[in-house]
Amino acid sequence: MTRISLSVNGRPTSADVAPRTHLADFLREQLLLTGTHLGCEHGICGACTVEIDGEIARSCITYAVACDGARVRTIEGFDDDPMMTRLRQAFTQEHALQCGYCTPGMLIAARDLLRRKGGLGRNEIRIEMSGNLCRCTGYTGIINAIGAVMAETGVRQHAPASKSGWRGPAPGPEAGTCDAAELKGPPHAYQDAPAQTRPLSAASTRRPIKVTVGRLETIEGRTSLTQSFVLPYQRDAVWRILSNPVEVAGCMPGMVLDGPPLDGRATGRMEVRLGPIVASFAGEGTYERFDEDHRQVIEGKGSDRRSGSRASGRVEYQLLSTTLDGAGATEVQTRISYVLTGPLAQFSRSGLVRDLVARIGEMFAEAVDARLSGKHGPSARTTHLSAFRLMLRIITARILARFRSFQKKISH
Amino acid sequence: MKAVAFDYARPRTVGGAIRLLSEKPDAKILAGGQTLGPMLNLRLAQPSLLVDITRIAELAEVEEAPDSVTLGATITHAAVEDGRVPDPARGLLQLVANGIAYRAVRTRGTIGGSLAHADPSADWLSCFTALEATVVIAGPFGRRYVPIMEFMRGALDTGLEHDELLVAIKVPKLSTRARYGYHKICRKTGEFAEAIGVAVDDPGLGIVRLVAGSTQGRPIVVDGIERLEAAADCIEAKLLAAGLGDDAYELSIHVAAVKRAIAGALAA
Amino acid sequence: MVAADQGIGARVLRKEDDRYMRGRGQYVGDIRLPGMREVAFLRSPLAHARIKSVRIPSALRDRVFIADDLAGVAPIRADTALPGFKSSVQPVLASAKVRYVGELVAMCIAPTRAEAEDVAAEIELDLEELPAVHEMLAARAPGSALVHEHWDDNLYLTTEIDVDFASVAAKAAASVTRELRTSRQAMSPLEGRGVVAHWDTRLDQLVVYSSTQQPHIVRTGLAECLGIDEGQVRVIAPDVGGGFGYKGILLPEELALSWATRKLGLPLKWLEDRRECLINGADCREHHYILTAYADSDGRLLALDCEASVDSGAYSAYPFSACLEAGQIGSILPGLYDFPHYRCRTYSVATNKPPILPYRGVARTGVCFALEVTLDALARKLGKEPTELRFASLVRPEQMPFDNITKRHFDSGDYPEALRRASDAIGLERVRERQRTPEPDGRLIGIGFAMYTEQAGHGTSVYASWGIPFVPGHEQCQARFTPDGGLELRIGAHSHGQGLETTLSQVAHSILGVPHERIKLVHGDTAQTPYSTGTWGSRCMIMSGGAVAAACDQLADRVKRIGAKLLQADPEDVRLEGGEVAGPTGRISVGEIARTWYRRPQDLPADVEPGGLEVTAGYKAKRDTGTFSYAAHAAVVAVDPDTGELEILDYVIVEDGGVLVNPMIVDGQIWGGAAQGIGTALYEEMPYDSRGQPLASTLSDYILPGPTEVPDIRILHMETPSPYTRFGQKGLGEGGAIAPPAAITNAVNDALEGSGAELLVSPITPRRIFQAIAEAPGAAR
Repeated sequence: MTRISLSVNGRPTSADVAPRTHLADFLREQLLLTGTHLGCEHGICGACTVEIDGEIARSCITYAVACDGARVRTIEGFDDDPMMTRLRQAFTQEHALQCGYCTPGMLIAARDLLRRKGGLGRNEIRIEMSGNLCRCTGYTGIINAIGAVMAETGVRQHAPASKSGWRGPAPGPEAGTCDAAELKGPPHAYQDAPAQTRPLSAASTRRPIKVTVGRLETIEGRTSLTQSFVLPYQRDAVWRILSNPVEVAGCMPGMVLDGPPLDGRATGRMEVRLGPIVASFAGEGTYERFDEDHRQVIEGKGSDRRSGSRASGRVEYQLLSTTLDGAGATEVQTRISYVLTGPLAQFSRSGLVRDLVARIGEMFAEAVDARLSGKHGPSARTTHLSAFRLMLRIITARILARFRSFQKKISH
Repeated sequence: MKAVAFDYARPRTVGGAIRLLSEKPDAKILAGGQTLGPMLNLRLAQPSLLVDITRIAELAEVEEAPDSVTLGATITHAAVEDGRVPDPARGLLQLVANGIAYRAVRTRGTIGGSLAHADPSADWLSCFTALEATVVIAGPFGRRYVPIMEFMRGALDTGLEHDELLVAIKVPKLSTRARYGYHKICRKTGEFAEAIGVAVDDPGLGIVRLVAGSTQGRPIVVDGIERLEAAADCIEAKLLAAGLGDDAYELSIHVAAVKRAIAGALAA
Repeated sequence: MVAADQGIGARVLRKEDDRYMRGRGQYVGDIRLPGMREVAFLRSPLAHARIKSVRIPSALRDRVFIADDLAGVAPIRADTALPGFKSSVQPVLASAKVRYVGELVAMCIAPTRAEAEDVAAEIELDLEELPAVHEMLAARAPGSALVHEHWDDNLYLTTEIDVDFASVAAKAAASVTRELRTSRQAMSPLEGRGVVAHWDTRLDQLVVYSSTQQPHIVRTGLAECLGIDEGQVRVIAPDVGGGFGYKGILLPEELALSWATRKLGLPLKWLEDRRECLINGADCREHHYILTAYADSDGRLLALDCEASVDSGAYSAYPFSACLEAGQIGSILPGLYDFPHYRCRTYSVATNKPPILPYRGVARTGVCFALEVTLDALARKLGKEPTELRFASLVRPEQMPFDNITKRHFDSGDYPEALRRASDAIGLERVRERQRTPEPDGRLIGIGFAMYTEQAGHGTSVYASWGIPFVPGHEQCQARFTPDGGLELRIGAHSHGQGLETTLSQVAHSILGVPHERIKLVHGDTAQTPYSTGTWGSRCMIMSGGAVAAACDQLADRVKRIGAKLLQADPEDVRLEGGEVAGPTGRISVGEIARTWYRRPQDLPADVEPGGLEVTAGYKAKRDTGTFSYAAHAAVVAVDPDTGELEILDYVIVEDGGVLVNPMIVDGQIWGGAAQGIGTALYEEMPYDSRGQPLASTLSDYILPGPTEVPDIRILHMETPSPYTRFGQKGLGEGGAIAPPAAITNAVNDALEGSGAELLVSPITPRRIFQAIAEAPGAAR
């Protein structure tokens, strides 16, 4: 629990909050100000909109502890506000609400718009209000109501919400706070040093290897793809690394084995990161080696306790002798397939990442190359990243595949 | 949909923040929280410590030089939108800021947070790539200056180490003769862009720069363009060459976004 | 008798608005009870699996409950009486198997939701994954994995209608066949579901606050499953943040909390979060059609032949069952057209997805999409304007009332006139003129129409044959004067945005003349209101409106009798007007009469009706087959062939809802419905992978239309009174959501006609438009 002091609807308030308690829960559960509604708790719907230091904000993704020293205003704090009174009249007159759930956030956003801008057309009002969802009205009454009040108020000069001139998220360094969370570390712990003094990371010592990536396919929920790359070493040398599960695991992004494999089985975990997302899939794997073909099949499955997600995967690779710049070399042909279920799979964000598949292969190839050349392996961090990306790439590919799937028509 | 329990600290200095980050490798930096907040609530992110950097006065500062403006990392999109900071790109930053998500997000979302998250669909990444801005990073070994194209390695992947803090972005000034266009294609106003196009033409600086953003990785800089007027016809071939040909729809919307940005610049 | 200014037909401003605008609405999440704990559920991460074990850390054993703990709680069953129906058994908490992602496995209790989620994260669930039945056509095929292993296929129900279909082939001059599909949606009211439960030890009664549209139905369901008397259950639906059908269900969560609150002696709360709402609430609208339309050489519709499947999910939801959608398709597919031959086979298919619920418009949105899009294809094939094709086959006003080919009884209206007005208002001729020259920006312009009827307020005669857990009978209202002259109306249905607190007040005001500020509607509490099947099927204005009128009529009669005595007049000589009883010798206010009854009974005549100023009256429409409001929607769109982007340039709705009780609220229902229809048409889709994993769990993935996604919509009214209802009103709450997918798709297909591309899957996303163009026979690229 952290002590905070803030002003809510003009009243000074002090409270102990858990850092994870978001502002909306703090207002609703601790201050019993239930006019602030939760519609999505991930910053999209706008039902939880409140004012913090005079600017509107999402109270569901703002943590109460970060509002220490701020001035917070909720719908309950606008009862006597003249502009809000006028807006309420217009909302009723234009039938701008039905079930009422989005209404407090909608009104606060609308009032803020009227504070900041005037003389807007209907489409501009729509764009300005696009951060607030209403499932009942179809927005017509809302746009009518705001337009009506805006027509009365005329073109306004933008009235600044705060006189402090602070340009960061409110309340900023000048706010009077409880400072329970204050870190009073000695500033001399840090000094500006000349640039580039950080030791070079392993990543920058690697040499780039070109990885060719084939098409992604999704069959029966398994997504598979092929990759191939060429290493400038004889096949037997590469096979010494790639036939050894411990070495392979060492080159695999984020992979940690619990101990040496036994009878073709191993347990361990694979930690994968993507930005702030971290998942650790604990599980077990099997491997099957075909020395005469220089081929190995690794299968594994695991679950991430934190998210309740599960993953299973299969990697099959084969080494072929080839030449590179006239010298003997080895082409590694890989077929990877994955299944991911649970919360980590349940997104259809399509921003995923064609070039990353190649980069993942590159990381693995570079790690193998580094082992063969006696250099350090890549840093754990970068490999973590790439592995998680691969997973997300798979998720997206499945979605894209689905887009392609319907569109069948029978016509006379 | 509630976050896991975490600790919270609020350093007053950059050094204090870096010390906290050094001590806790799984700590996360909290600025406006507009990206991290949803991930926390969804329990996709489960850090043990949040380091709130919004009380560090230095991070919201603006430094204006003859040829550049350096914007502190915790400056909000709304501060740019409202013209509360100088715009080195003669209005482009304001235009871009105005189109980011929604006002209630812009009031807390920060420039630095957006860059550090490195979501390919984020506006600032494409915009600053077109402007050839430089990211200023502070860490236990001092400050380093990284060109934005090198800073972003791929989707949600940057050159930031866990104990480093993005403190500012240094943006070169455009000349008075500059013109620009910016266009994004979204399924819904304020949601993730599916394609972004940026066009900057500055005869004063002798640059013509076109960027296709919200790809699946880093923004694509369309090189070899000498005249904006003649640029539109070759965009498709250039983006194909840059590897966007895997999906015809993706290619087509990115071509359209860049062409519309060019048209915007030409109409300016 | 009708006070036009504030009564029926008046644009009365809503009484409910003020509390909502001040943040004083009271939703389930706002309720606080002493000692209350919060609940989070551990839900299945897999679509289909055998549960091998649920491992609960021993330290948490006292706050986690699983199926084995819930002794004595019966599973949820929602059977129908339809022949061949296969019954599903839905456990409150999954025991042997899980059958969809999101199915409840364990109930976790803690002081806060965050801590309850922490507890849930500590449970280890060991599952053996089974093949997921994720696609309804594959699910119908022989050899498919089975959702319910003791069934011999995955079909809840198959229906077939054949009206002299075999003879059509000889007559038909033309036909088109289309395969169409609508995607699974999540209704997504802004407030999710929510439950607060506690056991009142004084009354020995379970009290359940639930965000529901049907408190009395939930009460019956709870009592049945928990094995307690209905008198021991009180259900309160407080303010409800949007329903749309999403809250017309008996929830396993309601049962779980009800059981646990009694066991623990603590009030419990569960609020559905948005992830839950999207993943286990993706429960509607997924249809598949293969539809052939036959016409004669004049373009008159001769026949329809259809095979329709509805992905009905893993269980039959209580009370509407798994078959309400597919089972209705056969009878509603003919739309508002008059034609002689018909065949339709429907399949209610069980899959490893959430159980389906009827969403605003019920099956009609999919049916309208299939039929109207196919009709436009037929018009294109015949070289006719889509409007001309429709004029040739629409039921004509002189045929009304009309029994159509499936015996639906259309009560009144002029369908061709609605289409004519829509066509004129949208400017069909102007659009055709505009299409002759290319647009400067390269976009393609198209125009589309779609029509439907919306059956509303249908009652006993319709539902008796379904045999689902309820059959609506008479709807009742309790009306009474308070001692100070105020009027209380108590109804068993629930208002959650429809504005019943205002419109039912208008009905009462029209009859009794009591001013609105003295009329109070009490609803949403089984302890305070008469039984009702609740708010569904656009029925409240017909049924509750009729009941309020019936109760007020009786009160009026009693008031007049007392008033006449007090005025010393003959009851035949007094009138009730403006809230007063007026007689030859003077006037006396209704309030004064109320005061006399309660507080000065000594002034009453000896033979006064002893029932006093409190009545319960019931209502049923003269004919309970329902009213049929109808509409013509017309859309003009611009499509960018390079990006698939679509802009709605104009949208017109011509609606006939009979007599409009409050035109402002009517327009609000139509606008709001149309916005949801636009969501269906263009944005909303829950994708699944082939393991039944839902692939959208946030509002970034599942797009709800915002202010910029909904255009200005022009509404024109026709008002053909229904001959069967009290005031001639018709139900119209759902219609707005029915036609937009069809109208917009027809407009897009019109725009793309030159390319040969045709969109047959909703939502029509930019990618689908782009790909349709790319794959079209005349594709340029």
